Amino acid sequence: MGKAIKEYIKIAVRNLKTRPLRSWLTMFGVIIGVFLVMTVLSLSEGLKGAVMQQLKMMGNDLIMIMPGELTDIMVSMVGGIELTNDNIKAIEKTEGVDIVIPMAYKGEAMRYQGEQRIVLLCGIPLGESLDVLKTDMGFELIEGRWPKSGKREIFVGYLVPEEIFSGMKVETQIILKGKRFEVVGVLKSVGNKQDDSQVYIDLDIYREITGEREGAKMAMAKVKSGHSTDEIVENIKKNLEESKKRRQGEDLSSFTVISSEKMTDIVGSIMTLIQIVTLGFASIAIIVGGIGIMNTMYTSVHERVREIGIMKAVGAKNKTIILIFLIESGIFGLVGGIGGIVLGLGLAKIVEIYTQSQYLFLLKASITPQLVLFGLAFSFLIGCIAGYLPARSASKLNPVEALRYE
Amino acid sequence: MILKPIIKLENVWKIYQLGEVKLVSLKGIDLEITPGSFVTIMGPSGSGKSTLIHIIGCLDVPTKGKVFLEGQDISELSEDNLSQIRGQRIGFVFQQFNLFHNLNALENVMLPMIFQGVPENQRIEKAKKLLRSLSLEDRIFHRPSELSGGERQRVAIARALSNNPEIIIADEPTGNLDSTTGKMIMEVLINLHKKEKKTIVVVTHDPHIAAYTEGIVNIKDGQIIHNHIQTKKVLWEKQ
Repeated sequence: MGKAIKEYIKIAVRNLKTRPLRSWLTMFGVIIGVFLVMTVLSLSEGLKGAVMQQLKMMGNDLIMIMPGELTDIMVSMVGGIELTNDNIKAIEKTEGVDIVIPMAYKGEAMRYQGEQRIVLLCGIPLGESLDVLKTDMGFELIEGRWPKSGKREIFVGYLVPEEIFSGMKVETQIILKGKRFEVVGVLKSVGNKQDDSQVYIDLDIYREITGEREGAKMAMAKVKSGHSTDEIVENIKKNLEESKKRRQGEDLSSFTVISSEKMTDIVGSIMTLIQIVTLGFASIAIIVGGIGIMNTMYTSVHERVREIGIMKAVGAKNKTIILIFLIESGIFGLVGGIGGIVLGLGLAKIVEIYTQSQYLFLLKASITPQLVLFGLAFSFLIGCIAGYLPARSASKLNPVEALRYE
Repeated sequence: MILKPIIKLENVWKIYQLGEVKLVSLKGIDLEITPGSFVTIMGPSGSGKSTLIHIIGCLDVPTKGKVFLEGQDISELSEDNLSQIRGQRIGFVFQQFNLFHNLNALENVMLPMIFQGVPENQRIEKAKKLLRSLSLEDRIFHRPSELSGGERQRVAIARALSNNPEIIIADEPTGNLDSTTGKMIMEVLINLHKKEKKTIVVVTHDPHIAAYTEGIVNIKDGQIIHNHIQTKKVLWEKQ
């Protein structure tokens, strides 16, 4: 059977070569479909991986607390809604919370060697939280040292010396709100442009120079070992509700309290959903490619009725005819698939190189042997499925009528 | 000694249903062809001679009646079984040659052997031998479009012989050839009959062609009107 298939492949290839333009056009339809699917799969998988990697940089025992509902998080951020000092104290008092890191953000003008740029300033209590930043939030220096608490020292994200103040070096001075600060460290890239463009400063000094005496845009709480993160999440929510009741008249309606693990799950689900939807749309192109194969195969059967009759007259069985036509349509799928995979993964790689060169996102296109094998098997299968009905109709031809066909 | 027939038809009817109209192509045909005989089926257009050889050649089955091939009833076999018989025991030569235009002479001859699972080296050897025996050694790698009518028909004969069948069925084998080439093709068939003892059934409406054979079956309106298989002598035996 194996040797016979080898011969049938030769016959099928010869038939495809007989009508080269039509064969290439048909395969081009599959190439477009597979190209789209492979690009979407590779990039969405890479994007998901990058996002998940960032989230996983945070330890499992971290809890994020933000004002407002998770569904309206942008409204809360843009609207300037903040956690109050009472809220932060309520979190600190929650049993099982080891440490709370309030995080305040503000856009400020910063001057370096005569150049002025607007940067996003992030105030963090460096004294208490430096260990958490390093061990649980994946902060890592590529140059310099960590700032000392209470000192006018800053450390900057990876892109600050790369893009914002090109050539910025440690142990140099910058000016913020008319005050001099020393740049003491540069962070390793965390993979997204926004975080990599921030300037970090001790929270006390942040409050001093910005005039924001209290509050924070968000807070991170580290759970003490031996406590259940989910349980602490519930306790924090409860304590925040109580702190709200004590301050009647304030309209802060709710808080988002979410563990890093839960956040990873939610983001993972959203990313999967996005993948499915985009893949669904890209798959339409493959279906169109499959219809193209079916159309070509029906035309081919129609044109080769007499040939089919001759093959039957000289001893070809029905299953042989089916096999020859299926191999032809499978070749359309497979060759189209190879083209689509090369182009699709090629484009994904180009996007990866571009985003990394532009520091947009630490996106790494997912190019795995499994993905390539899936692409090949999928496109071959599409070819075979599309070719089955035409092949079956070819095999059902009556040899006498087929031989008479003009 | 009376030879058992290689082909036997018993009360064979073939009726085509064309919409609401029934077209009776064969009406109760009884026929016996002994192994190694050379028979012509003659008749005017529409007489049913093509239908008859399609049934003899296992390309079609009768609506009613029985067809025996070496005693085996083939009238109710499945399509795949009929294909198997065609591939192994029957060789076809057509008026239109019916060669594959995208294959060269060698590949055309090898095609039936592919369907019978003959290994490649044996296929090549056999096909070359057949083409050489038909004086086509210089045309082995030529495509049908590069061959003359006579050469094409000889390639078709080589193809019909590729699986060494007992029976050769030739449907108007000289119909598309000039008289000289037609005579040459008939000589090829006579040689096959004489040297290799093949059973040959030729369909023609040309009495000159029929003169080469040892038996003539005349058919008209789906019925045999004369059967001279038993009586006619072969011309070349006279010479």
